[in-house]
Amino acid sequence: MIYFDKVSKVYSPTSIALEDVSFTIAPNEFISIVGQSGAGKSTLLKLLLVEDWPTSGKVFFESNDVHAIPKEDLPLIRRRMGVVFQDYRLLPQKTAYENVAFALEAGGKEDDDIKHDVPQVLELVGLMDKAWHFPHELSGGEKQRVAIARAIVSRPDVVIADEPTGNLDPLNTLEIIRLLEKVNDLGTMVILATHDKEIINSLKRRVVTLEKGRLVRDEQRGRYVL
Amino acid sequence: MDKITFRRILKWGFLSFFRNGVVSAATVLVISLSIFMIGAVVVGSTFLSGIISSLEEKVDVSAYFKTSAPEARILSLKKDLEALPEVRAVKYISADEALLAFRERHAGDDAILQSLEVVGANPFSSSLEIKARDPSKYDAISKFLEKGSYGDILDADSSGQKKITYRQNQFVIDRLSSLLSTSRRIGFAVSLILAVIALMVAYSTVRLAIYNSRDEISVMQLVGASRAFIRGPFLVEGVIHGIIASFFTLVLLYPAFWLIGKKTSVLFGGINIFQYFVSNIFQIFFILLVAGVLLGVLSAYIAIRRYLKV
Repeated sequence: MIYFDKVSKVYSPTSIALEDVSFTIAPNEFISIVGQSGAGKSTLLKLLLVEDWPTSGKVFFESNDVHAIPKEDLPLIRRRMGVVFQDYRLLPQKTAYENVAFALEAGGKEDDDIKHDVPQVLELVGLMDKAWHFPHELSGGEKQRVAIARAIVSRPDVVIADEPTGNLDPLNTLEIIRLLEKVNDLGTMVILATHDKEIINSLKRRVVTLEKGRLVRDEQRGRYVL
Repeated sequence: MDKITFRRILKWGFLSFFRNGVVSAATVLVISLSIFMIGAVVVGSTFLSGIISSLEEKVDVSAYFKTSAPEARILSLKKDLEALPEVRAVKYISADEALLAFRERHAGDDAILQSLEVVGANPFSSSLEIKARDPSKYDAISKFLEKGSYGDILDADSSGQKKITYRQNQFVIDRLSSLLSTSRRIGFAVSLILAVIALMVAYSTVRLAIYNSRDEISVMQLVGASRAFIRGPFLVEGVIHGIIASFFTLVLLYPAFWLIGKKTSVLFGGINIFQYFVSNIFQIFFILLVAGVLLGVLSAYIAIRRYLKV
């Protein structure tokens, strides 16, 4: 479970990224966070990933206030969150296989487990045949599928996807969203930040709408309304 | 850190060294240049101080005694001199030994040997050859000889000047001693400045290389890698850079000293810097290796700190 408790992020009096945002996400939920650029979607996710600190309020991951976790323990909590970005953020000097394996190596997994899990996940995203390609040899859609494989390989509690389809064509977009749905069907919480109307309307899942840093709508089976 | 993490850090260090081909080569090159300077300075200054010491070794002072001076008193003066803190060594040369040395030196020269026969008696006086710990001390030693209670047995010339070679060579010895101490100081300052420049250039290069990887570092952190796991491969790369650079530098220094040695051996009175380099090649390689690895690892360690903030 993830809980945002009256979270505000103020950069300056004229630049308020988030204002008093509170909501809860249940395990197994697929939640979309929508809003125009600058509505605060990315800031919200950054706070959850402890890439940034709230001006006031707290963010709970299960019973942990994530911003109270000591620096050296942050990797432990990050291993329980899989992240997917708009710009993929794969490690350029590592092959698709190595990128996925890196997440497990960083977590100290045994070699045998890595040899077993990585091909399985690459198979799931349909990229086993390109496992030994470097990121620059892959298309955008393929890169994003590697990123999703990396995000889910360590069986995290939540997958956080920040505009994962922003750089993709409609067909690839559909594939990525289907993948995220599949991940959710297998029992993992998915948080999707997007401003793509088509996606939201086809998903028919919970939608949280942000506007100028405020939470203005929170609907089960929501639609994209702005 | 457990074994499996250590092995993975080693693996990624090696892999990224090879995959970063151009950047790795550039870093090795710059570290090589840096430790090349350090190597040149180390060899140069050791060589210089070797030359200085050997010049100092050549400076000594001799005191000549009257032929009538009893040997027992000369030996007791020798003992007194040896007790002085300024004195490093005293050597007694008797009149007979001086004659023998003279004969040997002029073994082929009949005219000189015949003139010795004409003189008949041994024309040489016995003497003490005194070496000071440091050339600036000769003044004090010669004063001790002149003013001390042994003045009566010292030979003197017609004007009453005691026969102590310091007085005769005073100017040269003083000049030499101040020249030597100045060149020691300048050598040290130049080495220090060169070493600092070398360190700064190498650090900047490594920092630039790591700056290039800053996005990767932040991704690794978001994927849940610990600081040690992110930092490790960079440090391994630093070690590899240092090792390769030290071999490379040795290969560069070899012809450099060969050339310098060829051109300058005449200047230094036959002492060849190339021979010095070759006979100390293992110590020099060790210094280069330590300097190179330290430079590579420390630069990486300091440079990566700022990108491990989140």
